[in-house]
Amino acid sequence: MGERIVFGVAAAAALACGALVITLRNAFQAAVALIGSLASVAVIFILLAAPFAAAVQVIVYAGAIVVLFLFVIAYLGERGVAGAPDRLAPYRVFGAVAALALLAQGAIVLLDTRLPGAHSDPRPPGDIGSPRAIGDAFLSSHLVPFEATSLLLLAAAVGAVLLAKRAIQMEGGR
Amino acid sequence: MSGVPLVYYLGLSGILFLLGLLGVMVRRNPLLLLLAVELMLNGANVALIGFSRHWNNSDGQIFALVVMVVAAAEVVVGLGLVVAVFRQRLELDVDQMSRLKG
Repeated sequence: MGERIVFGVAAAAALACGALVITLRNAFQAAVALIGSLASVAVIFILLAAPFAAAVQVIVYAGAIVVLFLFVIAYLGERGVAGAPDRLAPYRVFGAVAALALLAQGAIVLLDTRLPGAHSDPRPPGDIGSPRAIGDAFLSSHLVPFEATSLLLLAAAVGAVLLAKRAIQMEGGR
Repeated sequence: MSGVPLVYYLGLSGILFLLGLLGVMVRRNPLLLLLAVELMLNGANVALIGFSRHWNNSDGQIFALVVMVVAAAEVVVGLGLVVAVFRQRLELDVDQMSRLKG
């Protein structure tokens, strides 16, 4: 029962903060709302027997990615985060109808699924989420994605440096 | 009846993804658009880790961790683009950034 209560609270918080992320006009407030959503999802990860993923979620997502967002928002200042006038307002009704249709389809699929055990109590988990299990899996059966990850990070870092360098050159600096 | 069945996690994941999708369609400032993309990636991660729990197997968590790395890389390049566009004294609006050229 306790697990269900924690799930309900965390899920409600994640969805409420998510709704704030896409509705708040102020970019700074939207980024802070994203932190709330990410932290709630970290709680969900702990419920799912994935403590390592929860820690990475807080450290990498809330700690690094959102802070990067906040830095850029602070750097851009007022002009950068000002909302442009909304030219799509007449079509808002169609957007709402499409979103509701997608929600209804998802609900039908979930209620109708025949996946064994999807609707019943889950079995107690084995050791699948501890740092030891994750490290073991990364360095044995998932070594290729692990190395591909490092290549991807290198490419992203080089790309970011090139973008910044070009932007500075365009302004006449070196 | 003590645990939470898989469908609840999948429902949460779907709704989070839908919220992010709505954000991507509604927002026009690239910064706020990237925030909504993060929301979508998080929804996907909930589904991946939920299935990892369901099959009692850590593969889903590995996938989710790789998704987090991809998200970090995407944010670095995306924010780099946003700052580069901003420094050109252009308006930050995805509708007007339709012709990106080096």
